[in-house]
Amino acid sequence: MLSRIAESLYWIGRYVERAEDSARILDVHLHRMLADPWVDETTACRSLLGVMGVGPLEQPLTVARVIGVLGLDEENPSSVVGALAAARENARGARETISADMWECLNSTWHGLPGARRRAEEQGVHAFFRWVRERCAVMAGLTDATMSRDEGWLFLVLGRSVERVDMTARLLSTHERAGGSIPSWLTLLRSCGAWETFLRTYRGSLDDRHSAEFLLLDRLFPRSVFAALSRAEGCLTELEPYGGPGQSGRTGVATDAQRIIGRARTGLEFRAADELIGDLGAVLAGLERTCSQVNDAVSRRYFRQTSAVAWVPGAVA
Amino acid sequence: MADLFEDYRLGPGWDEMFGAPGMPRETYEALHATLQPLSSAELRIRAEVLARAFLDQGITFALKGVEGPFPLDIVPRIIAASEWRVVEAGVAQRVRALEAFLADIYGAGQVLADGVVPRRVVVTSAHFHREAAGISPHNGVRIHVAGVDLVRDEEGAFRVLEDNVRVPSGVSYVMENRRAMAHVLPEVFAATRIQPVESYPGQLLRALRAAAPIGITDPTVVVLTPGVHNSAYFEHALLAREMGVELVEGRDLVCVGNEVAMRTTGGEQRVDVIYRRIDDEFLDPVHFRADSVIGVAGLLNAARAGRVTIANAVGNGVADDKLLYSYVPDLIRYYLNEEPTLSNVETHRLEDPDVLEHVLDRLDRLVCKPVDGSGGAGIVIGSQASDSELAELRARITADPRGWIAQREVALSMVPTLIGNRLRARHVDLRPFAVNDGQRVTVLPGGLTRVALPEGALVVNSSQGGGSKDTWILAEPPSELSPVDLSTGIEPIDPDDSGLAVLPPVTTPRSPDPGPGAGSVAEQQQQQQQSAQDARVGAGASAC
Amino acid sequence: MTVGSWRLKIKHQTGFTYAGAVAGSYNEARMSPRNDARQAVLEARVEVWPSARTYRYEDYWGTVVTAFDLHEPHESLRVTASSTVETLGPGDQLTPTDGIGWAELRGPESRDRWYELLLPTPRTALDEELVELAESVRAARPTPHAAAMALCEQVRDEVAYTSGATGVQTDAVQAWRQRKGVCQDISHLVVGLLRSIGVPARYVSGYLHPVPDAGIGESIVGQSHAWVEWWVGRWTAFDPTNGVPVGERHVVVGRGREYGDVPPLKGVYAGPANTGQGVEVTITRLR
Repeated sequence: MLSRIAESLYWIGRYVERAEDSARILDVHLHRMLADPWVDETTACRSLLGVMGVGPLEQPLTVARVIGVLGLDEENPSSVVGALAAARENARGARETISADMWECLNSTWHGLPGARRRAEEQGVHAFFRWVRERCAVMAGLTDATMSRDEGWLFLVLGRSVERVDMTARLLSTHERAGGSIPSWLTLLRSCGAWETFLRTYRGSLDDRHSAEFLLLDRLFPRSVFAALSRAEGCLTELEPYGGPGQSGRTGVATDAQRIIGRARTGLEFRAADELIGDLGAVLAGLERTCSQVNDAVSRRYFRQTSAVAWVPGAVA
Repeated sequence: MADLFEDYRLGPGWDEMFGAPGMPRETYEALHATLQPLSSAELRIRAEVLARAFLDQGITFALKGVEGPFPLDIVPRIIAASEWRVVEAGVAQRVRALEAFLADIYGAGQVLADGVVPRRVVVTSAHFHREAAGISPHNGVRIHVAGVDLVRDEEGAFRVLEDNVRVPSGVSYVMENRRAMAHVLPEVFAATRIQPVESYPGQLLRALRAAAPIGITDPTVVVLTPGVHNSAYFEHALLAREMGVELVEGRDLVCVGNEVAMRTTGGEQRVDVIYRRIDDEFLDPVHFRADSVIGVAGLLNAARAGRVTIANAVGNGVADDKLLYSYVPDLIRYYLNEEPTLSNVETHRLEDPDVLEHVLDRLDRLVCKPVDGSGGAGIVIGSQASDSELAELRARITADPRGWIAQREVALSMVPTLIGNRLRARHVDLRPFAVNDGQRVTVLPGGLTRVALPEGALVVNSSQGGGSKDTWILAEPPSELSPVDLSTGIEPIDPDDSGLAVLPPVTTPRSPDPGPGAGSVAEQQQQQQQSAQDARVGAGASAC
Repeated sequence: MTVGSWRLKIKHQTGFTYAGAVAGSYNEARMSPRNDARQAVLEARVEVWPSARTYRYEDYWGTVVTAFDLHEPHESLRVTASSTVETLGPGDQLTPTDGIGWAELRGPESRDRWYELLLPTPRTALDEELVELAESVRAARPTPHAAAMALCEQVRDEVAYTSGATGVQTDAVQAWRQRKGVCQDISHLVVGLLRSIGVPARYVSGYLHPVPDAGIGESIVGQSHAWVEWWVGRWTAFDPTNGVPVGERHVVVGRGREYGDVPPLKGVYAGPANTGQGVEVTITRLR
């Protein structure tokens, strides 16, 4: 597979996941801010912006401002709209590799953005985020249903999983940063679509420990950090069928990315849940670092030299 | 109910549908009968569905940097099988003559020595690339794909307007138009036997594989695109996808010691044939524009060394220079010893001072074209130009007679086209596509019919804001099908149906397995009554 | 007049030095003499450092091209062309009344045959002053050949040979205005002037042994050189820089419309600026 295409697929995976997760995070937080009269708007906005990696903005920080920056800013590939546009842009260049269904889904989503924004003005921003989530779900479904499980699929799922680790870690950080008061665990679980599963798993015992454990460590829930890390690790392993540098793959792993992600996964798997929760801030910061290192390692290994060369003419008499 | 054809007036050109007002020609009878009962509102709705389908699939044309749909008119253009045979033969003949010409001028130059074409015409052509001299493709093909632009004149005869043997585009619209029309107007399809166009990617791939360097039995073919911002990117992606080959950009390829490879996640992989959709000037910074960032350095010498095949070949532009066009009938006689099957449009060469004077006196009655313009750019139609435009044209031609040709203004043929809620006569042209695999030249039965949407407009190029029509070549023998009654829906067509065959016994297929709980209407109704929050799921699939 | 015959050994070194490491480069050298009526090539090779596989072909103009590409980082590029060539003396020279006349030269047959060599190119295009100069010289001469010789003389008188006064991009008009130039500029001027009066003319790139009665076995610093040829019923070569017919001291490498068709070394590279290019030609008369 062309390195450039692999890179595009990886980023389609990342951007679609980013759009969806950002929409989820924004939706629940905004809802909470508006619904709870005790929330200090400025503090809550600052906390949310900080977690999403947006540098300090000028005052005043309002909900509308946050929606603008994290939701609707077309220029910012970390906003919901920006991520959808960036996903489509990547898909444009990889159009012959992804299925026609996937392309049409991303393209019609992009064409639908102006209409969706208009509706957001009329019906409230919740309708917009809901629409984004639906479109992302359609995309995920079509990807599942129409894409061959080949190398391209592995890069797309790798991107999606890395982004999911990153976004779930950020989501958990919103709780951590706000000292546990805002938003509630209920909000967090809802925003991951994990509420029902959580209730079934823990029989309704909603406390901090269980909630964090679930979002961080659950093996079965696909949006947990652990599940996403394992998925990413699986993709990386499949990308290197001959294994590590030892004799025909009998020892070690082949790539830096595998090492980084494997260490992160075992760091979660083989530490006691209490210990992890007790040290949640550092654990989450570590996960964000892991994501950025994995991204670099994957780029170095698979996407080398995907930019054009600028040639300079020279002549001698 | 308003009649679609109400106040349809025959225009100044040959009307392809009507021989006389209200009297459709034989080829169009079925279509006419199918369209007639539709109300204009019904047709309008279908036209909108058509437009929407194109936009969602990203079938767009970027005009001046703005991405917009390339409107597909809902009324197809139909060509009888007998007429098509002439077009097919004529296009193939031109391609064969131009192949011989290119091989000659990038080789021995016999045609110049024999004085059939003045050396002046060749050496002053902006697209005569001396860098391509001595590159000799091993199966002799330089024009793997040609698009020959045709018009029908006032008598209904097809004439050649120009040849395109560099990187002719538009074939994707031929394929997509057909698909979209089949969805939107299935009943019309049912009433007519149309030659299919979906074989094109297969033909192209066969021709590209046949062009592989010597000794390569299983060549790797790629499509080279300038990138997603190119106006024809959609077509590049479509062709790559349907041929099942990689769509690469210049930055994906690297040329080391005349071996071309693409960069993949598993390392570098050798490439044997490049169907390039990049102009010569940007293809190889070593020989052409050094500032090109979309090309591949070293490509031309790799082709010279016979290690890779570039399709279409570099330097083909000398054969579609519009001044050379006026010599093509002579080339057909010279190389093939045949008479041209398709005529040119009468063309004046302006380098002769007497001709120039004659033309300058009649600018308001002629069509003047820059010889190396493409996309309809720079064409001046004398009868539609203002005095100041004509004055400017006069100055430009006088300054550079080699840079222009003048042609008789042909009243292009017309086909009914949906404008607003009514059908109106609009001018069309036709670009059939030919593929040369070295054994034979195959002309795709169909082609891109471009329609000039503004009333009276004669420039029908897609880059000039035109639209397109699906182009139907009727299958032989002529179909005797009658129009379909819309109330009964689609009449199944079986091409092998002799009318006498005994149908094999049909077993009734088993219905799909039902899930638990399905089927109890009462249960469902009770559940519905119990359900306070009724989150109803729509029956249809989410439209995207 | 006896026809002299020399055997010359030529070593031509050139290249680029860059301000830092260059990641890759693609180059073409036109440094190999070719066989023709006046010269026989006994040996010719082109070597490249850092080493690279080279590919040779003959271009549209009949020049032997050595193409190569480099993909390892390098800070300088050296190209060395070595050849041994036997040359003949100038042979019979046309007199001012020889060669075809104006009428025949302007006839459709000869015009079409040499059309390519009658057109101006970027480096040989003239301004009004030069066109007038050419026309006045033409009007005063009986034959195209006499006019051509007079133009060579005129350019040589007016333009002082000044090493380093111009570069590879300098055109004829610039050189004329500063009345300074090297063999390349003088040749471009003559070629442009000849074409403007309808005499087919071409630019020749090659080498010159600078010493007319050179000793055998003695290595001398020579130069890569340029001169002109014009067609007056046959091709006639002349070296306007030195005002001499082309003879046993001249070795032809390539012919074209101008420098741009026959540059000794050109290419593209990816990396920092090219800071220097040393050219060194050593010529030894072997016989």
